[in-house]
Amino acid sequence: MKDPDVNDELSRFEAELRAWGARPARTSASVARTQVTARLPLVCEPIPWLRLAASAALVVVLAVATWLGAPRASREGKASVHGESPPPIDPNVVVWVMDTRTTVYFVLGPDGSTKGGMS
Amino acid sequence: MPLVGVDEGTGGLVRAARAGDREAFGLLVERSWQRLVRLARSVVGELEAEDAVQDGLVAAWARLGTLADPDRFDAWLSRIVFRRRLRAHRRQRGRVSLEAVPEAPVSCDPAASVNAWKLLSRLAPRQRAVLHLTVVEGMTDAEIAPLLAITPASVRAHRRRARESAARLLQGGKS
Repeated sequence: MKDPDVNDELSRFEAELRAWGARPARTSASVARTQVTARLPLVCEPIPWLRLAASAALVVVLAVATWLGAPRASREGKASVHGESPPPIDPNVVVWVMDTRTTVYFVLGPDGSTKGGMS
Repeated sequence: MPLVGVDEGTGGLVRAARAGDREAFGLLVERSWQRLVRLARSVVGELEAEDAVQDGLVAAWARLGTLADPDRFDAWLSRIVFRRRLRAHRRQRGRVSLEAVPEAPVSCDPAASVNAWKLLSRLAPRQRAVLHLTVVEGMTDAEIAPLLAITPASVRAHRRRARESAARLLQGGKS
């Protein structure tokens, strides 16, 4: 855009744009304020909806976790009640329960020797 | 109507409006109206400008909760109005507009009653906005950039392309 004629044309165009673009709006600001506020919907704030949705999601997660966890807990409860009642123990026997499936017995002999085994 | 207990700075009004105070929002509308209409007029033309701004303001009310910094309300509002018009422009592209621009080259002869809008409307919407904010509002690149959600370098590029396009159209009018 080194052509001086073009630069003159551009300057004239920008002067016209300045005059055209700077005109005030046809509707005054106070009238626009009234018109716009009359159109405003009664919006609900988003935060209560988010809180409600988060609470509902939490309830669902807890319900599912409880439902999935309940049978396992009841199975474990039954096992502890019915399956593992301790046998009568001789005073010369030492029982070492390593876990629910492994019990180690130490039998103390009268001569001081020991026998042992795992079940 | 006076606002009781409301900080009448922009940030205070935005916070009050967020809490549902329509009067506070009305005051923000009143303050922004002329500036937004001037911008919209350069982007969409005289006929649609005021409706476009009103639609944008109603949309802004519903989205006030998404405004991160209440003190940047003016730039945020300009972006909403501009982007809505940009989307509308893209939807309408290809249709015949009420303000359809003649294909004839534009003349800048004052005697021919030159219409600035005739030339402006031949430019891309973002170029129109940059030219308006530069020429009419006298804003710097750093001030324009957040209004249009672009970088200052993009502002310069859009302005350069706008002036090149305008020069081509004006030269065409002379031949």
